Amino acid sequence: MLATVLYEDGDHRWIMFARDPGKPDGIIDTNQYLIQSGKEAILLDPGGIELFAPMLSSVLKYVPAEGITKLFASHQDPDIISSLGLWDQALPNAELYSPWLWESFIRHFGMNNITYKAIPDEGMTITLGRIQLQFIPAHYLHSSGNFHVWDAKAGILMSGDVGAALEEPGAPLWVDSMERHGPKMKKFHQRWMPSDAAKHDWIRRVSALDIKIMAPQHGRLFKPPHVADFLRWFEQLPVGVAIKG
Amino acid sequence: MAAPVFIIAASVSAELHQAMIEARGLALTAKNARALAVRAGSKTVGFRAITDFIEELASAIISQSRVINHHAEKLSTQAVTAWHSDNAMAHFRWVEAQKPEHLASILPHINHCDKQLDALNHELQIGLRDLIDQIDESYKHIRTANLIATSSHVEAATAGDFREQLEVIADNIRKTADRIAAHLNRANRLLSQNHRGTKIAC
Repeated sequence: MLATVLYEDGDHRWIMFARDPGKPDGIIDTNQYLIQSGKEAILLDPGGIELFAPMLSSVLKYVPAEGITKLFASHQDPDIISSLGLWDQALPNAELYSPWLWESFIRHFGMNNITYKAIPDEGMTITLGRIQLQFIPAHYLHSSGNFHVWDAKAGILMSGDVGAALEEPGAPLWVDSMERHGPKMKKFHQRWMPSDAAKHDWIRRVSALDIKIMAPQHGRLFKPPHVADFLRWFEQLPVGVAIKG
Repeated sequence: MAAPVFIIAASVSAELHQAMIEARGLALTAKNARALAVRAGSKTVGFRAITDFIEELASAIISQSRVINHHAEKLSTQAVTAWHSDNAMAHFRWVEAQKPEHLASILPHINHCDKQLDALNHELQIGLRDLIDQIDESYKHIRTANLIATSSHVEAATAGDFREQLEVIADNIRKTADRIAAHLNRANRLLSQNHRGTKIAC
């Protein structure tokens, strides 16, 4: 599993885990993120069952198990959180932050020890070590109960499936041209995102943030000026196209 | 390759559920026999006494099937838990082999999971042995049912005009007993796959 430090300021770090070379064929590549601050860490969208062992092994290179006090699942999909039953054995004292809407569904992945902390529709702010993290509503993008994570101190927005692209293995980590990258994201956003109203609401919300890195769950990450480029591109993109065919 | 214990236990539970449905049919046969014996009057005094045995037998089979069914369902659930722990241990062993820097921090949880798996396997072995014993016990009811069927045939022979109808009832008892025995045999065969004392394949 490739680990990349995205941000580091004292004991405040963002690490991205992705591009697992041992990942079985046919499984979508996913970006997992670890945020550390003080003695605490949170794992964002820890991934599917197939990725559990390489993820745990990678994470333990940076932080001891007792330091991972929180997990976050942006929504209920298997590539996001189907490893929950295994994390439940590895981190029995951890808390899982996830949309209230999906609690009774996510529990199907197996959760006997971890505590479910339901995020209300309007979002919430939590403290991790010495920083604050905000769970920003992103409902219907693509899941009907969906959140993104905003770290104002680092200026990083974990944007879940928004900004995601399905690319060939070995693709670069950063978007270098929206002109070239746009076509790689187009079908994904048009097919997975069902609502233009939800899209505009999200754009309005995140446009107010000073985003230094936008980090989606699949594909490349965005830095300025490509963050603003992406927002403009997304704004004009019609979504929910399957019903039009 | 032997089927996983949770599938075997669930299949045993399904067989016992079918046996219970057959036993309900036996209870209905007993009610029909009683009604017929009343109508036949003094010619079927012996048969009337036998109907009490059939009712008791049906009730005993229903009750025992229910107990075994419940036991097998519980075992299946435990086996799924054991399978999850076994699966987690396989992932943990891979992580151990990578020797990450903070491996020591996860070892208490790995050890806990390992102990839990041992305890679950031990419970499963005991549970499976109990299940086999309970099914063996159920065969006694089948032997009783066959004895009742034979006695019913003997009594039917002296029932005059009602002979034919009583013989149908006696045949029903035997056929139902055979069907229940077939479900028990299948349950037994499923359990023998895993068997009897060896390490459980979760």
